[in-house]
Amino acid sequence: MFFTKRRIGAFLLLGFCITYAVLSQRIPLLPFQQDSAFHARTMPEILSVLAIGICILIIALPSPAEYVELKGKNWIVGFAFLVLMSIYGLTIRPFGFILASTMLLGVGYWLLGERKLWLLAITSIPVAVAFWALMSIGLGVFIEPLPWFLRG
Amino acid sequence: MLDGIMIGLTTALNPTNLLFVVCGCLVGTFIGMLPGLGPMSAIALMIPIAASLDPSAGIILMAAVYYGAIFGGSTSSILINAPGVASTVATSFDGYPMAKKGKAGKALAIAAYSSFSGGVIGAILLLIAAPSLAKVSLSFHSTDYFALMVLGLTAVAAFSGQGNMLKAMLMTVVGLMLSTVGTDQTQGIQRFTLGMIDLLDGISFLLLVMATFALSEALMAILRPAGSDEDRKREQEAHSNLGSMKVSKEEVKELAPVVGRSSILGFLVGVLPGAGATIASFLAYGTEQRLAGPKKGKLFGTGSIRGLSAPETANNAAATGSFVPLLTLGIPGSGTTAIMLGALIGYGIQPGPRLYIDQPDVFWSVIVSMWIGNIILLVLNLPLIPYIAKILAIPARFLLPLILFFSLIGVYFVSFNTFDIQLMIIFAVAAVTLRLLDFPLAPMILGFILGGMMEENLRRALLINNDSWSFLWERGLTLTILSIAVLTLIVPMLLPYFQKWRKDADRAGEGG
Repeated sequence: MFFTKRRIGAFLLLGFCITYAVLSQRIPLLPFQQDSAFHARTMPEILSVLAIGICILIIALPSPAEYVELKGKNWIVGFAFLVLMSIYGLTIRPFGFILASTMLLGVGYWLLGERKLWLLAITSIPVAVAFWALMSIGLGVFIEPLPWFLRG
Repeated sequence: MLDGIMIGLTTALNPTNLLFVVCGCLVGTFIGMLPGLGPMSAIALMIPIAASLDPSAGIILMAAVYYGAIFGGSTSSILINAPGVASTVATSFDGYPMAKKGKAGKALAIAAYSSFSGGVIGAILLLIAAPSLAKVSLSFHSTDYFALMVLGLTAVAAFSGQGNMLKAMLMTVVGLMLSTVGTDQTQGIQRFTLGMIDLLDGISFLLLVMATFALSEALMAILRPAGSDEDRKREQEAHSNLGSMKVSKEEVKELAPVVGRSSILGFLVGVLPGAGATIASFLAYGTEQRLAGPKKGKLFGTGSIRGLSAPETANNAAATGSFVPLLTLGIPGSGTTAIMLGALIGYGIQPGPRLYIDQPDVFWSVIVSMWIGNIILLVLNLPLIPYIAKILAIPARFLLPLILFFSLIGVYFVSFNTFDIQLMIIFAVAAVTLRLLDFPLAPMILGFILGGMMEENLRRALLINNDSWSFLWERGLTLTILSIAVLTLIVPMLLPYFQKWRKDADRAGEGG
């Protein structure tokens, strides 16, 4: 089979490198910079050529017969964690640090198989509160602890 | 030098800094012990805390976490045959068989004494090598620095192992590419920002490190199916019954020359950019196996104390050795020291030959803290090992969300920008994909760290040479370094062909 682990990786990175090369041509240059040996595009251009060359070499050269194993991995849980982290990023400000962090930890434990509610609570709430206290009281970094509807 | 040691001692023995060394060693041991999490993740997790401290304390803390994590990695290698990092893989070859024979305590004690010896001898060698190299490197020009960075990056690829060279090279270039995102420092031109204000300052180093190491390690662990009940039972047995920790006089006599040789070998390998603790540990293991002779050599892999001591000594000496290029040339020799370089730059400190002169407190306190760190690891961690080992029993369902939480808030607390959390998730997905495809991530971090400096030195070199690229071959030192860089790339590529040619020649000789 042609699509080994190595070649799939090289194809993915080739896509990234081509995009990078195209975008590097959109870096604006001032008229006097066009003829100078070094300007804002120099490094990106060198890197684009180098990276595309290496990608093509990896794809073209013989590759060990190692293939991607998609079976037997917890894809759904992994994807759920990505969504959970993204939601955390969106809620940390409006919901406040303590509530958002408690949610992240509690739902995280639950996703990995913990079902006892009391255990979910005692392993998430104290961590969030303790960390908020450490940062706010201990190190003097202000983090909004409360959700928007409880703020004064 | 004596003045320097005194400065280092005064800084490192300051009660607050001493506390950081103790905490760093303990935290590092804890994190390093968790399978999958190594020194890089441990240091990455420490950066937000270190950023709030003064430079000396911050670097001392990170250095302590570094040794602690290496020590912790050995513990999980010995107890459950699950090396936290690549550099402790060789430790498990003989450490785990010893644990299975009921000698886990002895194995841990030998690992601790060997780590201590390797670290201390490494620190003595560092004390001699670093100032000398710093003095020499004061005469370096920007062209030489550019060449040195090229050498550092090519060496990373060259030492990545047969068949992985191109992948490591590609990842290094990807790291260099990522370093160009943001506003160009000299001309103020926006590059690859896609019109987003959040990218004007470029990609945060901390964000990239956290996403590619801590976050992706945790996500990889989530993706892995849970282990069988039998595995868990075996692990629990290993942590509850460690056996005696005593090492006999005969064993000490047998190990003393092993420790001496492996320390020097480890240190020298560690100094080479890109080589690092993993290669050092395997080299030391192989060397000792050969030196042990046919009878004792056969015991390697079945619970030999020499086989355990050699890699443990070498990986610690190499960890110390990797500080030489960092402190004297400002070029990190490994992924871990690359993260430390990023942290130093964050403090506004530029490591390099001037560090020795401009900021002697930072320079010397790092070296002195290595001794103190190693003593603390031995005095404090060794007796605590039976208790610390219990950490391995914390279920992954509690540990993994906590690692994700600390990674996310570690980045958020530095920038207070929620965009960073989303960007981190994107990088973590990319990192997990690349890990599943067996693409190494450490070269990318090295490229990312060196990218800005490399571009700046290249720009300066061209400016000095009136826009002429002739500096690449006109200045002797630059040409020599670049030639070494080319050789480091070409020799490993040609080596398999040479070995094949020699085998064919031998066969032809035997036939004739």
